Amino acid sequence: MSTPTPRATSAATGSSARPVFVRILKWGGLLALAIAVIGGVTGFLVDSERGLVSALVGTAMAILFTGLTATSILVANRFSGTDFFTAIFFAVVMGAWIVKFAIFLVLVFLLRDQPWINPVVMFLCIIAGVLGSLIVDVVVVATSRMSYASDVTLPGE
Amino acid sequence: MDATTVLAEINGNIATVGYGLAAIGPAIGVGIVVGKTIEGVARQPELAGRLQVLMYIGIAFTEALAFIGIATYFIFV
Repeated sequence: MSTPTPRATSAATGSSARPVFVRILKWGGLLALAIAVIGGVTGFLVDSERGLVSALVGTAMAILFTGLTATSILVANRFSGTDFFTAIFFAVVMGAWIVKFAIFLVLVFLLRDQPWINPVVMFLCIIAGVLGSLIVDVVVVATSRMSYASDVTLPGE
Repeated sequence: MDATTVLAEINGNIATVGYGLAAIGPAIGVGIVVGKTIEGVARQPELAGRLQVLMYIGIAFTEALAFIGIATYFIFV
């Protein structure tokens, strides 16, 4: 008598949405690299080393903070299959969201008056990073394939 | 006698008020997005994966508004 091999169900892998979020993070990383290079060169031409550093910090802030939502969903999905999954999921995602904004606010207030920061270059890089990550999100979600009713566990599984 | 009387003086940065205003929209937006996702998952748990992705897109767009609102502090002050 052979024992049935366990199937990779949604409870084991987290969620059917996992590949989408992983792709979003990968493409977001590539976008950050592109903005860092273009913004860094432009910043360097505008305000030498000060502009370069501002561009890199701005890009890092934008991509880190926008990517944190996808990361928090991936982390929260590790609890799928547990009794309080819905509560844990929204607590993790919304908790990460509010902490992220608190840290972003503190960073903005701290960096604003630093002598080694060019505020305009940094602002433009943050805007480019945020808008670019939105484009990446939409393109990845629009081109990803997800079946309807994918997170189903049949009786006996 | 002085014609004008100062009743109250306000100190501080007007950008703080700007941040408060910038937070209202995204707060309402994310509240609606997450609330509707919970509603959807409660009605059809098997669609949780799809709804998570759609929720993510909704959150991304509303939080972009908040990020830009806060980041304006860099140039408008």
